[in-house]
Amino acid sequence: MKKMQKMSLMLLIMMFIISACGNSGDNKKAEGEVTKKDDKVKLTVWHNFAGDDLRAKAVRSLIEKFQQDNPNIELDAQAIPPDGYRQRLSTVAAGNELPDLFFVYAGSHSAELYKAGLLQPITELADQNPDWKAKFLPGAFDPYQFEEGQIYTAPMGMSATSFLYYNTAIFEQYKVKVPTTWDELMTAIKVFNDNKMTPIALGNKAPWVAQSTIIGAIGERVTGTEWFKNASAQKGAKFTDPEFIDTLGYFKQLVDNNAFQEGANSIDNTQAEQYFIQGKAAMMISGAWSLTNLAASASEEQMKDIDVTVLPSIPGGKGDANSITGGAGAGLALSKRTEGATKEAALKLIYAVSGPDAQKAIAESNSMVMYDTDIDQSKVSSLYYKAFNLVKKTNITPVYDAYLSAESGEVINNGLQEIMTGGTLESVAQKLQDAQARAVTP
Amino acid sequence: MPTAVRSKGFIALALLPALILFVVFVIVPIIWSAYYGFFEWKGIGATKFIGLDNYREILQDHIFWRALKNNMILIVSAIVGQVPIALILAIVLLKNSFFSRFVRSAVFMPMVLSTVVVGLIWGYIYNPQFGLVNTILEAVGLESWSRAWLSDVKVNMFAITIPINWSNIGPYMIIFIAALQNISPEIDDAANIDGAQKGKKLFYVTLPMIWSTVVVTLVLCISGSLKAFDHVMVMTHGGPAQSTELLATYMYNNTFRVYRYGYGSAVSTIIMIISALLIGINYILTRKKAD
Repeated sequence: MKKMQKMSLMLLIMMFIISACGNSGDNKKAEGEVTKKDDKVKLTVWHNFAGDDLRAKAVRSLIEKFQQDNPNIELDAQAIPPDGYRQRLSTVAAGNELPDLFFVYAGSHSAELYKAGLLQPITELADQNPDWKAKFLPGAFDPYQFEEGQIYTAPMGMSATSFLYYNTAIFEQYKVKVPTTWDELMTAIKVFNDNKMTPIALGNKAPWVAQSTIIGAIGERVTGTEWFKNASAQKGAKFTDPEFIDTLGYFKQLVDNNAFQEGANSIDNTQAEQYFIQGKAAMMISGAWSLTNLAASASEEQMKDIDVTVLPSIPGGKGDANSITGGAGAGLALSKRTEGATKEAALKLIYAVSGPDAQKAIAESNSMVMYDTDIDQSKVSSLYYKAFNLVKKTNITPVYDAYLSAESGEVINNGLQEIMTGGTLESVAQKLQDAQARAVTP
Repeated sequence: MPTAVRSKGFIALALLPALILFVVFVIVPIIWSAYYGFFEWKGIGATKFIGLDNYREILQDHIFWRALKNNMILIVSAIVGQVPIALILAIVLLKNSFFSRFVRSAVFMPMVLSTVVVGLIWGYIYNPQFGLVNTILEAVGLESWSRAWLSDVKVNMFAITIPINWSNIGPYMIIFIAALQNISPEIDDAANIDGAQKGKKLFYVTLPMIWSTVVVTLVLCISGSLKAFDHVMVMTHGGPAQSTELLATYMYNNTFRVYRYGYGSAVSTIIMIISALLIGINYILTRKKAD
């Protein structure tokens, strides 16, 4: 009898638990019905403009303005800090609970979501506003055209990852010419090292830095874009080809000639920026994000010596030396499940944060855009204005990790650290080749 | 007897909520993750059953073995570092004077700090350009010893053990102090009358009296070192070139950076098996001593 009692007690508790779970599901459904009757369109959006930087503030104010202009839309906008953003998005994607609109990165991130059948195109928005679409810079939609003639998002920015920042005062002090060729760069490195000045500041603790800012730009100069795209697709080119070994070889030359400060692998990107702006290093190879960071943290006095250009050319290279690695930035993507009035509202919001006015506002928050717009020089920092105009004159070539699979991206990131700690070029190239081959063949 | 039976029933009933929570949030996920380990899964999209392939690949990946080796370094450093130092501090600081209370708080302090803060502080201490360690070495004329502590692959794993030990000694010391206070003063007096001097008293009286506590701290050391993640994530990200990769960071990177959820789940299952094995070995070894 005692056993029976216990058993029935257990059953009772189990039933409570099960019914508790059931209830919550019902509630959700009920809520959905209410909103439909209410005429208010409910729209959920996840983005990562959570920070205090100018760009995040600019985008947040665009979203707030959208909310004020559309009182019939009940907007639930969640700002999630960038560090955990991708993890959280994949978690809700796994649980099939994606918001209506969400921020996606160009490259493997959005491609994976597309392959999993979670996105729908926003082509109709572009068709309604042909002028708007036409003013995007060439290549802006490349990473988001998963099908012929369909676009899946409109980029809200541009990533430009390989500027050569330099300190004019230090170059003048040691009478060094700002390098335009590889040999001049090597000479500059030697002179600075002889004078106990760090030639190039690098903070590669998070190992994407050297890959994103340096190896793509060297690669473009040595191999050209064509070869890289073929190697990424594993069609007629491999990462074990001599071109790529050469690319890695140029990076190793920098390492062997002590171009970077000691312990570059143990400090992060922001610390390297500080090191550079304090005049302890003559150069820094970094992306457009440094424009924003430096503008926010450095003094007027420090900023006036800083100038920006492209990396030097490499003799005998097949690629374009007047180029910067980069590409379309992230944008808002539309969940496959969003329909009807919610979808209309979602498209409206996409236009509100990436339309012509929005692009101008983002560009004037010291942040690059992939859109042909004129900015007010008085509203931006002088360094950013220089970089903005530099980008207009140069070509944009691929950043490696935007084209490689996520795994290959990790392999080349770690591989560059390996080269910095004494690994051989061939073994790194081989590992990258293996990883990319595995990713391409299903 | 009836009261005993009834109280047994009551105990079971009272334990039930905790037991259910434990099963739902600990046991079930462990089984779940072992199950995911049999699949190729990117976290989103279709899953593909691949049997033991993930497990096989893990055992063949030399990064996994390096991570395991690094975890072993942490375990050894915890056992030879944290436990004895905590024990010595506990014995020295047992008295309730102002000085020992002050030192006790100071030793316990890092435990209260978030591990991110600990990681950042030690990141600065080890900084190759302006870090405290290199500055001191240069000041005393040992410039040749100064190096980039966290990026030099020969030393960085050992450099990492120091902050981890530093921040973990506090709680062990508190545990030991509690155990020492439980030894009744009569035994202490009896030992003194029998002429047991300091060292002898420690090894023949005190240690056997608190042996069960020592065993517990050893288990905590082992499981804590196998779970170690946050300090390394903050200080080195497991790098450079995966030289400070731990099992947990290896799992994290494979799951959340490379998007191989199936593989990551398999790694976490293996971590659990290794944990269970080591704790079992520890149990057998320490039980023999207790006999």
